[in-house]
Amino acid sequence: MNAFEFANAPTVEAAVKLLTPSDPKTDPDQLPRALAGGQDLLTTIKAYITPAPRVVNLKTIQGLDKIADDGKGGLKIGALATITAIEENETIRKNFPGLAQAAHSIATPQIRNMGTIGGNLCQRPRCWYFRLETVKCLKKGGTECYASIGQNKYNAIIAGGPSYIVHPSDLAPMLIALNATLTITGAEGSRTIPVQDFFALPKVSVRRENILKPGEIVTEIQVPATALAAKSTYLKFKERESLDFAMSAVAAALEMAADGTVKDARLVLAGVAPIPWRVPDAEKALIGKKPDAATLLNVAQIALQDADPLEHNAYKVPLTQTLIRRAISSLTA
Amino acid sequence: MPTTQPGKKTILVPKIVNGVPSGEEEIVVDDTDAPAWGPKDKHRLLNTYLPRADGPHKATGTAKYTHDIKVPNMAYACFVTSPHAHARIKSVDTSAAEKVAGVLAVVPLPNVEEVRFEGQPVAAVAAKTLEAAEEAAHAVAIEWEQLPFVVTAQDAMKAGAPAAVNGGGGGRFGGRAGGNRGGNPEQVLDALKSCDVTVDATYTSVIMHHCCLETHSVVCDYSGGDSATVYCSTQGCNSITTDAARELGLPASKIAGIVYNMGGGFGSKFGIGIVGQWACRLSKQLKQPVKLVLTRREEFLAAGNGPGAIQTFQAGATKDGTLVAVHCIQQALPGIGRSNIAAQPYQYRAQHTYREQNTVNTNEDSSVAMRAPGHPQACFAMESLMDELADKLQMDPVEFRKKNVPDPAWIRQLDAGAKAIGWQNRNKTPGKSANGSSLVRGMGCGIGAWGGGGRGGCVATVNIGQDGSVTVQNASQDLGTGTRTYVRAIVAEELGLDYNDVLEEIGDSRFTNGVASGGSTTAASLSPAVKDAAYNARTEMAKRVAPHLGADPSAVLFADRQIAGNGKALSWKQACAFLPSGGLSVRGEWKPGLSGNGAHGASFAEVEVDMETGHVRVVKMAHVQDGGLILNRMGAESQINGGMIQSLGMALYEGRVMDANLGVMVNPAFNDYKLPGCLEIPELIPIIDDGDERNVVIGLAEPANIPGSGAIANAVANAIGVRIRELPITPDKILNALAQQKNV
Repeated sequence: MNAFEFANAPTVEAAVKLLTPSDPKTDPDQLPRALAGGQDLLTTIKAYITPAPRVVNLKTIQGLDKIADDGKGGLKIGALATITAIEENETIRKNFPGLAQAAHSIATPQIRNMGTIGGNLCQRPRCWYFRLETVKCLKKGGTECYASIGQNKYNAIIAGGPSYIVHPSDLAPMLIALNATLTITGAEGSRTIPVQDFFALPKVSVRRENILKPGEIVTEIQVPATALAAKSTYLKFKERESLDFAMSAVAAALEMAADGTVKDARLVLAGVAPIPWRVPDAEKALIGKKPDAATLLNVAQIALQDADPLEHNAYKVPLTQTLIRRAISSLTA
Repeated sequence: MPTTQPGKKTILVPKIVNGVPSGEEEIVVDDTDAPAWGPKDKHRLLNTYLPRADGPHKATGTAKYTHDIKVPNMAYACFVTSPHAHARIKSVDTSAAEKVAGVLAVVPLPNVEEVRFEGQPVAAVAAKTLEAAEEAAHAVAIEWEQLPFVVTAQDAMKAGAPAAVNGGGGGRFGGRAGGNRGGNPEQVLDALKSCDVTVDATYTSVIMHHCCLETHSVVCDYSGGDSATVYCSTQGCNSITTDAARELGLPASKIAGIVYNMGGGFGSKFGIGIVGQWACRLSKQLKQPVKLVLTRREEFLAAGNGPGAIQTFQAGATKDGTLVAVHCIQQALPGIGRSNIAAQPYQYRAQHTYREQNTVNTNEDSSVAMRAPGHPQACFAMESLMDELADKLQMDPVEFRKKNVPDPAWIRQLDAGAKAIGWQNRNKTPGKSANGSSLVRGMGCGIGAWGGGGRGGCVATVNIGQDGSVTVQNASQDLGTGTRTYVRAIVAEELGLDYNDVLEEIGDSRFTNGVASGGSTTAASLSPAVKDAAYNARTEMAKRVAPHLGADPSAVLFADRQIAGNGKALSWKQACAFLPSGGLSVRGEWKPGLSGNGAHGASFAEVEVDMETGHVRVVKMAHVQDGGLILNRMGAESQINGGMIQSLGMALYEGRVMDANLGVMVNPAFNDYKLPGCLEIPELIPIIDDGDERNVVIGLAEPANIPGSGAIANAVANAIGVRIRELPITPDKILNALAQQKNV
């Protein structure tokens, strides 16, 4: 790894200061980097994927790891809460089961013990080409997405271009399905936005996967208590069960009417698009219906209607359709 | 006729070169009375379940590996490697690298003007810290002229493809053509016409990696002067000294080569290699100890690999289940190296066979020996073919195999494996589940064979102290296969002592001559020497102690930590007190008659496949393995389990993936080169074939890795009703194959 300056941030304000570059036009890969769990960050530095002139340790900020009640049964999750803390939190397991499942699906117990929700949302893509030191792809300031014409088995089938990464977060799709919001803090103060609006497609921001401006960090995630949250699930398909990112995954949340029809629905896909991919048309096709086999087939069909696979990833279409049907079934069975 | 010295005789033993059996060689051995193992069922320690001698050290982290070695004033080295698959070096500028704080040396590798694979070392750097060495390596500025390359077999076989190696070229065989041939092709094609069923099929397996958890590493502890200690993660401890002597300009006798523990080799670590070469050269230049450890990426790119293979068959059988004709063209895919895939029809007997083997070279690092070189690839293809033929014959695959194996050992093993896996429950309706669920089950099997024979050269030493302490010494390393355990057990059993009364000291070239661990030959080469040394120690102790008992030395018994005779007994400690202050030191050497050659095995697998996701769960695996006299049943079962796990990785997960446009490996990391993890490991049933009556030691580490991948491939086909002919069998391939079947 390159030599870098390491700074412990005592407060959010100090962290923001340490992370703000003196020149706002600094190349994204020359910006100071925030360390929340460090497991993705350090691998990108160690493997010379992205240099880091300065690493700002957020773990020294007190109180940013709390999981608290918002007073209305919802959650306020500090950005430094570990994946394990989310996975094992009794309230989350009971009232937000999909979130606990998404947390449990991540990596290994050791990684979950270190990893944080903020870091999980801000982690960099796993695309083979992005992870190679010797390949300067679009995301690293190059001119080509080598995956689009190369080995793209794990890449995007929806909304790809010019880069075809898939977003690696498992928590993000679930949070979007739960109508969660997050708070971003920067030099100009804080703002709270839907998690869905946090992520940016490559055509908007090819070098970064979210809308954070230099110097900004995620400080809190809010998950409202809703009927959707109580009936939520995360179904992830991994090529290797022991430790893997999603080949495809579905975050689903339903609110059922008394007559057995679906009153409200959220379906968000992971592993198929450069950002967590909500499928509103499929949700609409489900709302007002009894989730029988024919409906599920139709919903799954609609969810993937925009899929445009690359050479090696057409299998993701039937795979994701299966996961959608199964996720909904598991909530209505 | 060569004359042999008196008291000596010449015998033939298998010759192993870099882990690959290469015919036989003559060696001279003692022609005197040799110790015998005694009846298989009468052992006190051997052929029982012994815990690993080094288990506690490894479990608690106190076992020292080369990666752990740190000596005073040690410098850290690393390589600068090629980012290109094929390129010429136009210039190298080391000035910026030399300015990095803490840098001690920046040395372009001599005679490397052209690189032929990504990751090929082109310069070496040493610095006071690893960080400084890495920074300097990145600061070496190389101007490249990129040259045409080819990194996939498909591209290499196209006419006009660039030559990956000198003298290679595009076309039908891509690289070097004219490999070995055997049989009469016209006769085979004729015979096919008389067959009741035929199968034409091509099976593909990809280049794999050894994935040693300890990467190649060497610490050369030399500070100038006339001697050096070289720590190396190698399968050949004795070869450290000669290799290092050449680099350091010292006599081999002045070098201590040490392999206390090693984190895997699987065929990739013989000698000190280029890693040791540069640790030594930099150490010599700096007059300072140097440590050089490959990164995981470098390990993938430049530390050897196991070859892939493309094997095309035309084969046929008659209704009665006789394998009549097998015509096979094999393409070995060894990167820029050379490699052999075991000949087809592998272990089966067929009336007419033709095989032709060629090499398709690509701009990738050379293949080297990898656990049972060339066998898992040949076995996967042949076993897949056998099941495809059995399907067409509507014959049970086990019955079909039993009709065509040349050795009854396999009949016994196929029956045992079938029983263990529950073969009677094998899926009769592939592709259909009973209850409309998407989960389907299947079973498959396969057989394999290996040499595993011993060879001469090992000399073991047993030292007995006046205080009763016993050590057994030999230079051989423990590759991780349990060498320490049986070395200790053989001596303890012979001397009537407890397992923990004996301390083994191995993996140090200063001890008496050892054997390189290749071809599963260590146990069969080393155990006879240890047995001989222990036997000699017992004989010598009997002579010394008999007078104190008033007994004849030949009538002295060693048991229960006592030496007894003439109705009297001395405790081991009391007896040893009669020894001179320096104790007793006795040697023994390899003798014929204690080891044998020829291991057979059969693997069975049961899988569950989700037809809607392509997920394969291996439910259960069983492997039946013979090995003559089993030195340690727990160690042998561990080897069998390890073999099954490695074959599972080959079947379902592992493989080098290349980008044809860029010429780079896209998955040189454990996140992306997927090894099976804990959740992928099924119920494993290791079965030692006690029907094997040979009372000699035969290596079994490699054979346990051979038939599993074919068995799993067959089980998947039996489950889903579609044959996947390319490894690894990943979910995408299953979903694509099922989709294709639907469309047909």
